[in-house]
Amino acid sequence: MLRASAAAEAAGIPSSSLVCDGFLGQGATTAVGLGLPNLPMAKVPGHVDTQTDNELRHNVTSVTVEAVIENLTSAPPAAVMIPEPGPQDVVMDGSFEEINRFFYENGWSDGLPIVPPTRAKIESFLAFTDLPADHVIGKIPPDNRQATVWNVAINGVMAGCRPQYMPVLVALAEAMADPGYGVEHSGNTPGAETLITINGPIIKDLEFNYEQGALRDGFQANTSIGRWWRLYLRNVAGFLLHQNDKGTFGNTWRVVLAENEDVLAKINWPPHAADFGHARGDNVVTISRFTGGDVIASVFGQKPEDMLPYLADALISQTGWQLIFTVGLADGSYTPLLVLSPILAETIAKAGWSKDMVRQWLFENARIPASKFEQYIAEFTNLYSGGRSIFELTQLGKANALYGLSKDPNRLVPIVCDPLDIQIAVSGDPGRTNAQVFSHNGILGFPTARAIRLPNDWNNKLAGAE
Amino acid sequence: MSDGQSLWILLPTGQRASGEWIDDTLHSRAEEQGLLDRLTQVATFPRQRVEVVRGPKAEAGVNEMFYRRGWTDGLPIVAPTMARVDAMLRAGGRPRNMVLGEAEPLKGLVTVEKVATNAVMAGCEDAHMPFVLAAAEALLEPEFNLRGVQTTDENVTPLLMLSGPAAKAMHMNSRFGALGPGWRANAAIGRAVRLIMHNLGGGWPAAVAFAGLGQPGRYTLCLAEDEAFNPWESLREELGFAVDDNVLVVQRAESVVNVTGGLNDLATVMASATSAFSRLHGGTVAVVLAPYVAKLLADEGKSKADVKTYLHENSQAPAAEFEKSWLPARLAGQTNFPRWVNEGVKAGWVPAVETPDDITVIVAGGDIPIPQCAYMPTWGFPACRIAKKIYLPQGWDPSPET
Repeated sequence: MLRASAAAEAAGIPSSSLVCDGFLGQGATTAVGLGLPNLPMAKVPGHVDTQTDNELRHNVTSVTVEAVIENLTSAPPAAVMIPEPGPQDVVMDGSFEEINRFFYENGWSDGLPIVPPTRAKIESFLAFTDLPADHVIGKIPPDNRQATVWNVAINGVMAGCRPQYMPVLVALAEAMADPGYGVEHSGNTPGAETLITINGPIIKDLEFNYEQGALRDGFQANTSIGRWWRLYLRNVAGFLLHQNDKGTFGNTWRVVLAENEDVLAKINWPPHAADFGHARGDNVVTISRFTGGDVIASVFGQKPEDMLPYLADALISQTGWQLIFTVGLADGSYTPLLVLSPILAETIAKAGWSKDMVRQWLFENARIPASKFEQYIAEFTNLYSGGRSIFELTQLGKANALYGLSKDPNRLVPIVCDPLDIQIAVSGDPGRTNAQVFSHNGILGFPTARAIRLPNDWNNKLAGAE
Repeated sequence: MSDGQSLWILLPTGQRASGEWIDDTLHSRAEEQGLLDRLTQVATFPRQRVEVVRGPKAEAGVNEMFYRRGWTDGLPIVAPTMARVDAMLRAGGRPRNMVLGEAEPLKGLVTVEKVATNAVMAGCEDAHMPFVLAAAEALLEPEFNLRGVQTTDENVTPLLMLSGPAAKAMHMNSRFGALGPGWRANAAIGRAVRLIMHNLGGGWPAAVAFAGLGQPGRYTLCLAEDEAFNPWESLREELGFAVDDNVLVVQRAESVVNVTGGLNDLATVMASATSAFSRLHGGTVAVVLAPYVAKLLADEGKSKADVKTYLHENSQAPAAEFEKSWLPARLAGQTNFPRWVNEGVKAGWVPAVETPDDITVIVAGGDIPIPQCAYMPTWGFPACRIAKKIYLPQGWDPSPET
């Protein structure tokens, strides 16, 4: 949480950030990304959450206070630019094995073989965008390197993408650079992973899997673009394990989720990207960061009223501490995703239910006792401290009015602030009655969509691609 | 190209937590001091963890390149190839990315991998790695005052004394020539410490380190306490460790003064201006007793505590002599001497150190009837005698590779 300090320092106000022992390295790297590499930090020994009041008091008075005084009374030294290889430099000349070893040992690869990003391969990617190679897409924290068309292509080559995926990659880099997404949080301890969803005719152009096994590796477009995301986080954003990626466990990349637009058209439901203002037929990528989730197997029933209670229950069971994004931190930013297999969506739609009706029903029925809600955000986690009930927070204007309708701790309250906060997509095995719920990371990876801009003469170029 | 012509080397130089390389600071300092005509490649290296050096003379190429980049002590180094560093890391038993701290004054991160890289360069055997790690941790203790040691105009250097059975097992010399050349453990472990200070702390002579003369101990100053010739409890037991433990004791040594003589002669040397800095700041000094002297004293029934008490009581300089010596005369009225020094001046006599316990005594040297002892005065603040118990990883094998 160095951003507040950075803002204060930028305004000329001395700051001192309290940082627990294990996070000093992350703090230092994050500070560089904030443009203030010498942002003053005061160490708190150990981790505060596991210390008694007395231990904490002793640690703070014996170590932290002195550093705070030093930080607030002396000027941090000036920033220095860190030289790196230039974007066009040839960094290595050698065999496939040597290039791979070199990239891996220098931290530029994820442990799997990469495709060596030769100039010729990069050029073949550049042919699939009308943007110039040096076009700057934005700056990506924490390292604040520039995202350029050139380095999008390099990482695309490395990830095993095909050249024609380039328009998707550029759109993803644009989404990553959007401040609304919050890429700077990507190294936080819950270690949530981004899910990319894709809409539009490009799903078929690039042969994304949108049917059986939609979330499994095995299709080049889904898999390699998912891998590109992590390589770009590593090589451009600068998230590295044991440094500033502090994911406690983390997980590997998720493959791209493509919607089954044939089914959507049949049942007249809008595509997932419509939630973000895009029309049916638009090529769009959406990124959103999910902490976890589960498959909801065997959704049994012939009509929505039979099936929806199970789905509402799934939303509840896959939501716990994340409620801090509904009330507490960045209220109303919790937007879980429900992926329905086509047969489930069709069965529900056949009864005349629109997607918004489904969301409304889930909003009204995916509810938990207020006391349980408070346990997740306060008692269990201490994510929201101070001991106030969500009723009291509402009275203070710190929670959505929905949570202040009663003081009864047993009243049922919703897990999201708005029906539209429940994202719904349709994909997977068309004939199997399973669903998938993704619990969401709130403002630390807020859904962000970008239109994919195809190059001129896309169809011819695509036809000419290998 | 075949792998036989390629050296995959790890870069030994320091990177700060913020990602900055200390070489960029050092380049500015070296330029200011006119060192770049000799160090022609400072800060020109690729900014990455691993570099590949090709060609039939790759090892020689690495040597020349490292020297020109300012990464050596002037002597040839062993190229820190990934295979060599990996072997060193396995022998150290600690995770490679573990951060031990920041090396002052330029704050390069001391990671286990960087320690291993510098240990390979210094010529360490794999089995030396736990000792180099312990020494690195000692340098990072606040009371070592690494910043002061690296930047002072004095000639101080770390003094490494190993007390424990591992010393003999890995052939660390504690007898003839223990402070001289010829034994790899003494030479390489001490050298690794210097390279760590140089490459991670950035203590480049004449650029950051402005010691007037330096001293030969800045290449290495490392010896073992002799187990057999020591008639008393070992240094480790004296410091509260078990007799089976291996303990590395690190102090700051301003120099090594040879004293061919007994306790009285040692005390005379200690009473002189050699002890200027322990009188200025307080501090811990070291005395190496020849086996012959130790035996005579023990035969007289003297304990180690008796020896320390004798040296303390007899290392007193007459107050008038002390006051007209260079440092007190120069600093009169500008600095506060420790209270025990002021009291000594009033009483007419100023000891070399505050208490007998401020004198570390070990026995080392050749088994000859000649009283060849040494006094190692100290420099700097605060008092420093850092004892690090060595944790030998399972399978630690000090037998040299064949």
